[in-house]
Amino acid sequence: MKKTILTIICLLVAATAVNAGIFATKTGYIKFYSASPLEKIEAHNHQVNAALDATSGDFVFQILMRSFEFEKAMMQEHFNENYVESDKFPNATFLGKVTNIKDVNTGKDGTYEAIIEGKLTIHGVTQTVKSNGKFEVKEGKLSGKSKFNILLSDYKIMIPGTVTNNISKSIEITVEVNLDKIN
Amino acid sequence: MKRWVIILTGLVFTGFIAALIVVIFVYNKPHPDYEKIDAEYTLTAADLYQAYIANKTGAGIKYSGKVIAINGKLSKVENAGSMTICVFAFNKGMFGDEGLRCTMLPKFREQANIFKPGSAVTIKGYCSGFTDTDVILDKCSIVK
Repeated sequence: MKKTILTIICLLVAATAVNAGIFATKTGYIKFYSASPLEKIEAHNHQVNAALDATSGDFVFQILMRSFEFEKAMMQEHFNENYVESDKFPNATFLGKVTNIKDVNTGKDGTYEAIIEGKLTIHGVTQTVKSNGKFEVKEGKLSGKSKFNILLSDYKIMIPGTVTNNISKSIEITVEVNLDKIN
Repeated sequence: MKRWVIILTGLVFTGFIAALIVVIFVYNKPHPDYEKIDAEYTLTAADLYQAYIANKTGAGIKYSGKVIAINGKLSKVENAGSMTICVFAFNKGMFGDEGLRCTMLPKFREQANIFKPGSAVTIKGYCSGFTDTDVILDKCSIVK
């Protein structure tokens, strides 16, 4: 009996050790894409802070709104000045969890399905988001991808009537991070 | 009567063409050439970082969205994907080094990669703001 308990404890410790550590990057990538009948608009941000606690599953993102780059200067200006009001709300954040982190073995190369849930704050408004994603472990590095949609109205981002047909009400968000183990 | 119709049609047509040109010009206006824009502020990398640490909102109002020239001793140069980033580190935190991160314009990547840690440099770029760990300068060029 004692031997069985000891074996279980050893297995639990080993499982925790495999997933232990913080993985982070300051060059995460987020794209948003709006497809309306009149126009397709996308913006790219390659300077996203992201950190994952591989033990607890805590997952954090910090995004500077002004770091989004658009193809057209006018769109970038309107985005910052009129829509997300980057002066008033310079940052967006995600504070959440990989709820099935136990299924992601950061000590073993492979691809793992992930369920991510948390609070996304944009334009000063916080909403709960849930998304599926994938983690890939390769030679000690962890990369993650996810795609989900948000409604502009949920974040009180108002689009003027004159361009309402140019911008979709639902925006597709793509997230890609290559995380390095930092401790 | 006929003459009035011709004049009116001409005016409407000219107005329409003028409006169309303005719309196309505004819609397609190019991004600013940040290398050629004069810096609104020149200060040390440490002072800019400390300004955001001391008062994020106040520093944001003063510096975010502006072209700024900073000088100081470079900590390291990072390459990530197609980006080259000059880093001035002043702290350690959850995400690693914290300080100033200057993403270089493509034409300055090669020059930036020659810099050794400790090099005294002056870099100019568009201040995107503060991520709570770093001050971000984008579209950076090397002044000195």
